[in-house]
Amino acid sequence: MELFVQLLANTLQIGSVYVLFALGLTLIFGVMKIVNFAHGAFFTAAALVVTSVMPFAMDTLGLSLPASYLLAAIAAFAVVLCIGAVVFNFGFQYVLKDLNGSFILSIGLLLVLNGIYLAIYGGAPRSVPQVLPDTINIFGAKLTEQRLALVIISIVVTGGLYLLIERTRLGLALRAVAQDQEAAMLQGMPYRRVALYGFLIGAALAACAGVLMAPINAVTTVSGDEFLIKAFIIIIIGGLGSVAGAIVGGLFIGMVESVGGYFFDPSTATLTMFILVIVFLLVRPQGILGNAD
Amino acid sequence: MHGRSCSQSGMRKRGPVRLFGLAALSILFAQGAAAQETLKLGISAPMSGAAATWGLGMEWAAEQAAERINAEGGITAGGETYMLDIVAYDNKYSATEGARTAQTMLSRDGVKFIVGSIGTAPVRAMQALTERQGVILFNTAWGKSVKGPDFPYTFTQMNTPFEILEPFYSFVKEQHRDIKTAVLISPNDATGQELEPLAIETWKSLGVEMLASDWYERGTTEFQPIATKIASLDPDVVDFSAAPPGDVGAILKELDVLGWDGVKVMSAGTSVDALTAVAGAAAEGAYLGASADFDGPTATEVQRKLNAGAREAIGEPLNGITISSYDAIMALRSAIEAADSVDPAKVKGVLPTVRFESSYGPSGFGGEALYGYPQQMLLPVIVTQVKDGKPVELTRANPAELDALLNN
Repeated sequence: MELFVQLLANTLQIGSVYVLFALGLTLIFGVMKIVNFAHGAFFTAAALVVTSVMPFAMDTLGLSLPASYLLAAIAAFAVVLCIGAVVFNFGFQYVLKDLNGSFILSIGLLLVLNGIYLAIYGGAPRSVPQVLPDTINIFGAKLTEQRLALVIISIVVTGGLYLLIERTRLGLALRAVAQDQEAAMLQGMPYRRVALYGFLIGAALAACAGVLMAPINAVTTVSGDEFLIKAFIIIIIGGLGSVAGAIVGGLFIGMVESVGGYFFDPSTATLTMFILVIVFLLVRPQGILGNAD
Repeated sequence: MHGRSCSQSGMRKRGPVRLFGLAALSILFAQGAAAQETLKLGISAPMSGAAATWGLGMEWAAEQAAERINAEGGITAGGETYMLDIVAYDNKYSATEGARTAQTMLSRDGVKFIVGSIGTAPVRAMQALTERQGVILFNTAWGKSVKGPDFPYTFTQMNTPFEILEPFYSFVKEQHRDIKTAVLISPNDATGQELEPLAIETWKSLGVEMLASDWYERGTTEFQPIATKIASLDPDVVDFSAAPPGDVGAILKELDVLGWDGVKVMSAGTSVDALTAVAGAAAEGAYLGASADFDGPTATEVQRKLNAGAREAIGEPLNGITISSYDAIMALRSAIEAADSVDPAKVKGVLPTVRFESSYGPSGFGGEALYGYPQQMLLPVIVTQVKDGKPVELTRANPAELDALLNN
C-alpha cells in the first residue's frame, strides 16, 4: 500500500511539471498552428533567472528566503514575457500557421538562446536552496514540502488556465481561432493579437514550470530541452492542441516514468515512452483527446 | 616615352630600397618564425549540462599549463620554439559532438595534439579521425575499448576503473566490513556499459551481492522513481558508477527524502562542490574514487597553486579529471623535446617511454600488461570522502608500475 502511494506521489510530482510545460506548448500549437522548438528556452530562462536573482536578493538586499524566491519568480516571469514578446513580434508573427517556417525559426531561436544562456551563465549546474525543504509523510509516501507545493501550484495554475479558456472573452477568442481562424477573423477577431496572447500565456506556463523546478533540480543552460522532449511525447499522446489532452498525457507520462522507473529502470521507462509515441502515431495519430482533423 | 623613362628611372632608384626592404622583411619573418611558432592543443569535453564542471575545469587547467610553458620560453624541437595555444570545444558528452569537435579541430584549427577529451562515446568517435590522421589523443575515457595496440595515438591521462575500482572498493569494504549488498546505477552510454561488468565483478570478489544494476539516460531530470526503487531494496551500498556529480547529487537528495542512509560510492566521484551544490547535506559521507584534496597535506605545491587558482577563476577546485589536461601537456612537452619534433608520429613513438613531472610528481606511461600497449598515465589512486562539504583524502596507493618508475 505504501509503495502504491509513493508511486502515485511520484507520478503527481513528475506529471504536474510535465503538464504545465506541455500546456504551453499545446496552447501555442492550437492557436498559432506552429510547433515551437524553442519552448524549452522559456523554461530555462525562468530557472536561470531564479538562480541569479535569489542569491542577489538574499546576500545583497538582505531579503528572507521566501521573499527572495518571490522576487526571483516575478523577475523570471518578466524576463520570459519580454523574450516572448520580442520573439513573437520579430519572428513568430510572420510564420503563423506555417509549420516549415516556424520549425526553422524556432530551431534557430533555440540555438541562439542556448548560446546566449551559455555565454551569460556558463555551463556548470546552478542551484538555489529550497524554500520548503522539510519532508512530510502522506499515507506512507515521503516527499518534500517543496514538491508538494509544486503539485498544488500546478493544479491551481492548470485550473486557472481552464477557467481562463472556458469562462473569459480571451479564452473564447483563443478557442475560436484554434477551431477556425478564418471564421474567427470574419467575426472581427484580431488574430495576430489573439495569437500573441496565446503565445505569451504559453511562455508564462513554461516560466511557471521553470520557477517551480529551480529550487528542486540543478539548473543548466539546457534544462528546458530535456523537458521539451517529454512535452512532445505528451502532446502527441494527449492530442496536439488539446488542453485536456496535455493534462492527461502529462500525468500518463509521469506514471510511465514513475512505475516503469521503479519496476524496471529509468532507461526502460524512457524507451517505453518512445514506443508509445510510435504506437500512437500508427494507431491513433490524433492522440487520446485530439481532434481527428 | 617620357613617362616610361621616368618610370624606369624610378625603378632603378627604388630597386635597392625594395631589395633592402625585402631582405629586412625576410629576416624579420625568419626571426619571427623561429621565435613564435604556435602549437595548437585541442580539448573536446562537456562544457554544458550535468558534466560541464569537468570540461570547464579541464580547459582552465590546460590554459595554466600552456601559460606556464609559454612563460618558460615554450617548447623547443627541431630548432624551432613553439608557443602553446589551447582551443576547446563542447562535446556535450555525445558521440555526435565528439566527432564534430574532432572534425573542427583537425580540419579547421590544424590541431595535431588533443590534450583532453572526456567520455568513452565521444572519444571513440574522435578516434575514427585521430588514429587515421595520426593525431595524438589524450583522453579520460573510462572504457577499455579505446585502448590497445590498434590505437597507438591514444593515451589515457587519468586513472580509469581498471586502475581505481579494486583499491577503491577494497578500501570502502575495509571501512564498512558489515556491507553485504549493493545497488549499481549507471548512465546508459558507452562509459557506463563498459564499467558495469567490472564493478559487479569487483564487488562480488569482495563478498558483496549486487541486488540490482539499473540504467538511466544522461539528461534525466526526475530521479524519484529510481530513488524509490533503491530505498525499497535498502542496500548497504549504492554505487553510482560513472554518473557525473550533478546526477548523483539529484539521486542522493531524493534518497535522503526517502530516508535511505547507507554507504554512498562514486567511482567517477570528482567534484565535491558540484555534488554538494545539488545534494546539500545528503552528500555527506560519500566516497569518491576520482577526486582529490588538492589543498591537503599530500598535495604537491603545483596542485595547491592550481587548485587555488581554479577556485578563484572557475569557482570550484580541481579534481582527477580536470587536472589531467595539465598532466597531459607536461607529458607532451617532455615527449616533443625527447623526439625533437612536433611530428605526432615521432611523438607517439616516444610517449610510452618518456618520463615527465606531472602535477602529482614524477610519472610515465604503463599498462601494457592490461591493455596490450603502454598508453595509461601512471598516477596514484586517491580515495576521498565528503566531510563537512569538503573532500578529505583518506588514502592513496601507487600502481606497481609507478612505484617501479619512482624507484628507478
